[in-house]
Amino acid sequence: MSIALNRTESLSELCLEGAIDIASAAELKDLLIQALGCGTQVRISIDGATALDVTAVELLWAAEREAKRLGLGFSVAGSISDEISATLDETGLKPFLVFAEASQEVSQEVSQEASQDSGVIPCQP
Amino acid sequence: MSTVGNADIFKQSFREEAREILVDLESALLELNDNHRDMELVKRVFRALHTIKGSGSMFGFEDMAAFTHNLETAFDEVRNGRLEISAELVDLTLSALDQIRAMLEEGAAEAPVADPDACVQILAKVRHLTGKPESVPVQTKSAPPRNDSISAAQSASQSSSQSSSQAAAGAVREWSIRFAPGADFMLNGSNPLSLVQELRQMGGLAIRASMDSVPPLGELDPERCYIHWEMVLATAAGRDAIRDVFIFVEDTCELSIEPVSSSVPSAPGSAEASSAAACDADRTARALEDKRISSGGRRTYDAPDHASSLRVPAAKLDQFVDLVGELVTVQARLSEIAARSDDPAVAEVSEEIERLTSSLRENSMNIRMMPIRATFEKFRRLVHDLARDLGKSVELTIEGAETELDKTVIDQLGDPLMHLIRNSMDHGIEPPAVRTERGKRSTAAIHLSARHSGASVLIAVSDDGGGIDAEAVRNRAIERGLVNAGAQLSENEIFALLFQPGFSTAKQITDVSGRGVGMDVVRQRVDSLRGSIDVASKPGQGTSVTLRLPLTLAIIDGLLVNIGEAYFVLPLANTQECIELTGADIENANGKHLADVRGELIPYIRLREYFNIRTPRPEIEQIMVVETDAGRYGFVVDQVLGDCQTVIKNLGRFYRHVQVVSGATILGNGMVALILDPERLAADAVRSIAQTARGRPAGATTKPGGPGRGAAPGRDS
Repeated sequence: MSIALNRTESLSELCLEGAIDIASAAELKDLLIQALGCGTQVRISIDGATALDVTAVELLWAAEREAKRLGLGFSVAGSISDEISATLDETGLKPFLVFAEASQEVSQEVSQEASQDSGVIPCQP
Repeated sequence: MSTVGNADIFKQSFREEAREILVDLESALLELNDNHRDMELVKRVFRALHTIKGSGSMFGFEDMAAFTHNLETAFDEVRNGRLEISAELVDLTLSALDQIRAMLEEGAAEAPVADPDACVQILAKVRHLTGKPESVPVQTKSAPPRNDSISAAQSASQSSSQSSSQAAAGAVREWSIRFAPGADFMLNGSNPLSLVQELRQMGGLAIRASMDSVPPLGELDPERCYIHWEMVLATAAGRDAIRDVFIFVEDTCELSIEPVSSSVPSAPGSAEASSAAACDADRTARALEDKRISSGGRRTYDAPDHASSLRVPAAKLDQFVDLVGELVTVQARLSEIAARSDDPAVAEVSEEIERLTSSLRENSMNIRMMPIRATFEKFRRLVHDLARDLGKSVELTIEGAETELDKTVIDQLGDPLMHLIRNSMDHGIEPPAVRTERGKRSTAAIHLSARHSGASVLIAVSDDGGGIDAEAVRNRAIERGLVNAGAQLSENEIFALLFQPGFSTAKQITDVSGRGVGMDVVRQRVDSLRGSIDVASKPGQGTSVTLRLPLTLAIIDGLLVNIGEAYFVLPLANTQECIELTGADIENANGKHLADVRGELIPYIRLREYFNIRTPRPEIEQIMVVETDAGRYGFVVDQVLGDCQTVIKNLGRFYRHVQVVSGATILGNGMVALILDPERLAADAVRSIAQTARGRPAGATTKPGGPGRGAAPGRDS
């Protein structure tokens, strides 16, 4: 498990690797607050994530809500692993992290940032 | 916090919970032994075994989980009507419980060690009873609780869920389940996913998660699950089977399981039954919506946690009480200084601190008070096992199990009670044939009771056995040289001989008793608790041994008195009133130590003479009237200085034989005051009278090192 925060002038990106669960929940919260504190768009990259537990999902959901309150773009990007997909399905949490195609429902700001990437996915409450 | 540290904490937490579960399990098994058809007890046993197995596996006690699994299987068979409860199954499970206890405490100092051979034998016998081959949990290997809780919890409940599903006959119905994890749910290694997966195995499941309770990011505790779930499960399984899924977490979550509609018929034996019964989408949505509306759709993240109790290590509690004790002593010093100060502000602060200290002391004492139930309940097993070993039929009844007393007292009560019960079972209660010959019920009765009596607790062990043969006790005492052949002893004095070291009237030594050690242990332990023992026995009808123990050993309310420059404390709970004793009163009494209190003559003890204090007597003395077991007595002192909170300090081993003083305390002025034990003081004086009347010392009851006796109550001095 690792969580890295990369910042540019216009984007704060959190890269999640491995199993993101209660063991990393405190760290994830701190980094989400830091990312939101930058005042830039926030992107969560889950390409390397192999699992998300409920603490991770509720943190991402709360962060997305906070971003909205602050008027910041917030997105979850990357290809979702089968395990994460199954977990979200089974626990009924999928509606809180809807993974859509990059071309759909992407906020304008994040779309611009993501134009060079593939699979930018907004997080929808 | 490191993962290893967490794992240790989880293990320790599990051990503490498992100990309680095992006590409940033992109690349920013993009740079940008396009532084989009580299905509620069967379910209680099953749930306990299920929890021990599942949680054990989750927290790394794989051997224990695998062992328990076989027992759980047996009780699942009973639960489903395929096996009947028998004395053999109960005994096997009790023996298994001892092994589980040993596995649980593995590695602890002085802990019993599980016997692998015994485990194998127990399991072989259980399998013989159930007719089932050896079974192991689906998945017993578990790694750290946090990561592997899914598989562990799932495997732990798999067999029960499956069997429950299989047991269910035909009718599939829908159940509305609302599940909100508690604050520590995730920290305990639980995971909602495992629960959901288990529910899905039982039938069609519609699920909706709610984020209503998730607080803003900044306020969110990242290790807590705020999400709650509303689900509709279509299954042939019953409410109990669904509840079993949550068995590990039920105490730490909000859970409701309610039927939402009438049963949905399904084809019996159809493999597609559960999938065919998968929820109708519209109906499920409506049901979930109804639930949401009924809950008001409120944001509840700011609702306080309602933890009704906390688990605190006993050592921390003892430390807390010690500190309160020190505070009480310092507060007494402050009061002393304030009394000498002219500054009203100092007096005001001193009074306020005194009030707060008093409240704090009372609260801290209450925290240490525990019901005696757990101590009593564990003797059910002892009686059960001894009755089997001795070939006797004995019924144990318990009364006053909710009576509370200080934890320190309870901790030391186990051994004395065990010896009393063993003695009663071995010597008191007759074999069934003898009882029948004597016209008694073949099943004997042992009654264990507790009740409050002033500042004491009375704990009694009574039986309806043959009673104590006082003459045999007396003769044995003479044989052993404990009393003179011509000694005239009262019944109480004869019974007191039973508690002499090595004293026994048993004709043969058995595994249970007869060495004369047990009763001595009882006396020593009760003495160390500043308690007393009373024995009542009627030949042929039974014996009752009553232990009178103080409610607390730490701090008491007392009345501070002085005689010359010596200070004493009398426990307030025993003290009834204070009256003056003048020189004229003494003259009018014609040398008798009797005070006329509103027409009642009360004998008194002049403590100045009793303790040989050589200071002049004041013109007016005070008689403190106290209530004791032997009646009302007066203790004559110079002055009553006032009430005081008294932190009891031990006098040390050199003074351990001084029975009439139960300890000492440090006063605010730095002086030491002795805390008197009115019961013993009065009893000692009464003995004095009896001995003087008989004109000889009673060797059987003389306490070595006891204080010199002065004036006996009611006698010329």
